[in-house]
Amino acid sequence: MIETRLGEFEEVILLLTGILGEEAYSFKIAEEFESQTKRSVSIGAVHSTLNRLEEKGFLTSKVGNATAERGGRRKRIYTITAYGKRALESARDLRMSLYNQFPAFAGKVDFGFGGL
Amino acid sequence: MRKHNNQPPRAAQKLLTLFLRNDLAEEVTGDLGERFNTMLTKRSPLRARFDYWMQVINYLRPFAIRKGRVQQIMHYAMMQNYFKVSWRNLVKYKAFSAINVFGLALAMSVCMLIILMVADQRRYDAFHEKGDRIYRITLSTNYATTPHPLAAAVKTEYTVAEETTVLVPGPAGDAVYQNKLAEMRGYFAEPSFFSVFSFALEKGDATTAMQQPYSAVISQELASQLYGDDDPIGKTFDFSDRQLSFPQEMDGIGAPPVSWGTFTVTGVLDESKYKSHLKFDVLMSASTQGPLLTSKKIEDHTNAWDWFYRPYTFVLLKEAKTLADLQNSLDDLAARTYTDKKNEQTKDLKFIPQKLSEVQLNLLGNDTNNRLPRVGYYFLIILASVIMLTACFNYTNLSVARALTRAKEIGVRKVTGAQRKSIIVQFLSESVLTSVMALIVAIGFLFLLAPAFKDLWLNKFLKFELPTTPGVYVIFLGFALIIGLVAGIYPAFYLSKYNPIKALKNLGNSQRGKLGLRKMLSVSQFVISLFFITTAILVYRQFSYYMQFDYGFKTENIVNVELQGMDYEKLKHELSSIPEVTNISATDIIPATGTNNGMEIKKSGTQDEYIQTSILQTDEHFLDNLEVKIIAGKNLPPREQGSNSIVISQKAVQKLGFQRAQDAVGQIVEARWSNEQLVITGVFEDFTYRMLINTREIHPITLRNQPAAFQYANVKIASRDLMGTVKKLEAQWKKIDPVHPFKYEFFDQQMASMQQGIFDLVTILGFIAFLAIVISCLGLLGMATYTTERRTKEIGIRKVLGAADFTIARLLSREFMVMLLLAICIGVPLSYFINNMWLRQLTNRVEFDVTTALAGVFVLLAFGILTVGSQTFRASRINPVKSLKSE
Repeated sequence: MIETRLGEFEEVILLLTGILGEEAYSFKIAEEFESQTKRSVSIGAVHSTLNRLEEKGFLTSKVGNATAERGGRRKRIYTITAYGKRALESARDLRMSLYNQFPAFAGKVDFGFGGL
Repeated sequence: MRKHNNQPPRAAQKLLTLFLRNDLAEEVTGDLGERFNTMLTKRSPLRARFDYWMQVINYLRPFAIRKGRVQQIMHYAMMQNYFKVSWRNLVKYKAFSAINVFGLALAMSVCMLIILMVADQRRYDAFHEKGDRIYRITLSTNYATTPHPLAAAVKTEYTVAEETTVLVPGPAGDAVYQNKLAEMRGYFAEPSFFSVFSFALEKGDATTAMQQPYSAVISQELASQLYGDDDPIGKTFDFSDRQLSFPQEMDGIGAPPVSWGTFTVTGVLDESKYKSHLKFDVLMSASTQGPLLTSKKIEDHTNAWDWFYRPYTFVLLKEAKTLADLQNSLDDLAARTYTDKKNEQTKDLKFIPQKLSEVQLNLLGNDTNNRLPRVGYYFLIILASVIMLTACFNYTNLSVARALTRAKEIGVRKVTGAQRKSIIVQFLSESVLTSVMALIVAIGFLFLLAPAFKDLWLNKFLKFELPTTPGVYVIFLGFALIIGLVAGIYPAFYLSKYNPIKALKNLGNSQRGKLGLRKMLSVSQFVISLFFITTAILVYRQFSYYMQFDYGFKTENIVNVELQGMDYEKLKHELSSIPEVTNISATDIIPATGTNNGMEIKKSGTQDEYIQTSILQTDEHFLDNLEVKIIAGKNLPPREQGSNSIVISQKAVQKLGFQRAQDAVGQIVEARWSNEQLVITGVFEDFTYRMLINTREIHPITLRNQPAAFQYANVKIASRDLMGTVKKLEAQWKKIDPVHPFKYEFFDQQMASMQQGIFDLVTILGFIAFLAIVISCLGLLGMATYTTERRTKEIGIRKVLGAADFTIARLLSREFMVMLLLAICIGVPLSYFINNMWLRQLTNRVEFDVTTALAGVFVLLAFGILTVGSQTFRASRINPVKSLKSE
């Protein structure tokens, strides 16, 4: 039985993969993570999470093109699967319902993910 | 510098490739490279490099790390395949496999014999329940004996010992019960004997058996001799001590019987059940010593700390205490006891505990039984390892030589994905398989070898039994596995090194390079063989030199009869009545058989140094009987006419400082210690009195006539039928002493048996030399076979072009002849050098001369040429049509 719930870090990585689209490979995702969250992260940590998410079935990957700045080496591009999208949706729904029940925020929540 | 800084750190990259999964390598190095470049644009190169390192280290995560290969190569199926291929290879090249198996088996059987010997010795004293806590206390002067009071002191003054016990060799004489006589030898033992050791009594109570004075525990054998089928417990016997030799042959000189009184049997012990370094027929209660001391029948050493030649002390350690605790207590005791720093004998004396299980493998002075000393094991182990090494060289050599044949197989394996490790494992499994097969053959050899070893003269004293137990077979198997690995390790590494492309494409080139190593191994094998051959020849020549040695006295037709305490004059009277007896004399020691008594004398009334001389107690017929000439003065007078007369040898004359032999006659000398004044009545020709092996030079000898000391009668016989006359002697003996058996030895045989040990050495060395040469020749045979096989085509072409058989044989043999000659050039000087090291220690010795060297070289060449020749001539005679057609 594979764990299907998303952790906080996993959730962000999954979202960033979706945002970056065709450019979603380890280095780019890590870079984007650092610029968006102002937290530093190693490529290894991102790679490890991507690997785990792929094992869970939230992501698929394929080998992409080589570019000059990579010294002619190819990259692995990750794409969200339908299952992955559903996992994100259920995570968001859970949160929405929780925020709505909290009196201080009730009804006036702007659910921007950048605020995480 | 700049250019360098623009690259990611090399070491970090190296580290990454070391642990990273291969399938991730491309993307990860790409990602990290991209990051490094981005970092370079924003930060300093140093910072970028540091970041790269951090990134690499951050990749040390389970998902990214390569899985170990160990699991992969140990796959059962693969192992099965290795053994299958190994087996096929062994079967395919039957000749080579046979050479390897046979050679290894020969060497292994010798090693296994030594394993058996050690295992046999380890079985001694294994039956004691508290054996791991029992220690024998020995002296730092390498004596197994200790002072008598030691045991009691350790027990009462220190807390380390749960129990101690002391054994004193004492009773050795005749027990008589209702006209039945039995000879018994044994120890005085304390009641604690049975609580330290686990000897169990067949009959009687062990806890009380040694309590009362005049109690005795006797062996099953003695019990049936004395009491037949009756219950021995509570029965008595009268004991007369004769100071017979015990515990070893040389301990004891024999004496007229002294009655010790009546003893009561309190226990019966079945000695045959126990394999122990302690052997005895009787144990007498230690409390018996009291009354015997009072009546002066034994010497009193019970409180002497400076007399340590007889008692054996054993300590049973408390469970909580260690060997170190015991050593500390003993050191303390020695320091407190031996305070007199002026006493040469005792000032540095220490007590050394020896674990009971190690007693049998460590022979010490004054020990209780004969056994092979530790150095003997080292000697045998060195011999066996050298032989084993030669056999392993064979395997290595033949495997490497056949690399060509295997190159294709290795190439294919590598191309289909085998890693080097797998190939190594494959070759090792092949060598292990070979050595296990060799083990089976070696066990066969061992069954021939072990009885031969047990039949050696030496084993009469060493008493090796060499039974094979399941445990020993387990050790054998382990040994075979180790040998397999040792033999196979070099070929495995060498053969697995092959580059698959080269191996598959070009088969011819890989051979030449390693020829040097193979030649070196072969040459060293022959050097070793030559060394053993010449050594064996040399030891044999030394042996026959000893056998033919002129001692300066005659031993032919003399029978030495042991007096066993009987009055000499009485025996002489009886034996003289036999017509074949031409002369009888008496002596206390048989000369040149290893025993020696010393005396120091100087000219009376002078300040001269005392001179060392051997002293023999003989009667007036001794010199005459042994045909030693008197050169000045007169022979010893008969006993009645003065006991202060001595006759001395020429050497003694010279040492005493007299000019001529004539000058010494009538002079008076004084003996050290006893201060006796002795008159020299005559001088006789020098003869060799000590054993040849330890003679430095001819030693001064003094003869004196003191009949009380006589031990032997030397009976000269003039008869064709020696054994018939001996029978008559025995009949006369029985007349005057019906109880004791007639004990005799022919003098010349007695002398020869002194050299018997050397003959055993010749046998062992000869056998080892034979093995060495056989194994080396097997290797040579393998190499020669292989070379000729490889060159079949060449030979064919040469023959077609008109080469003669002989020319071809010479061509093929040349390489091997060069090796043999090289071995001779190295081996002869080496053997000369090493053998002279021991030869120089001997005074009476043979020389390592040209004959010895030539004989060795001849044997080596004969074997070598025969081996190589058989192959090369066979090859040279092959019809070229056949050899050229085949492919």
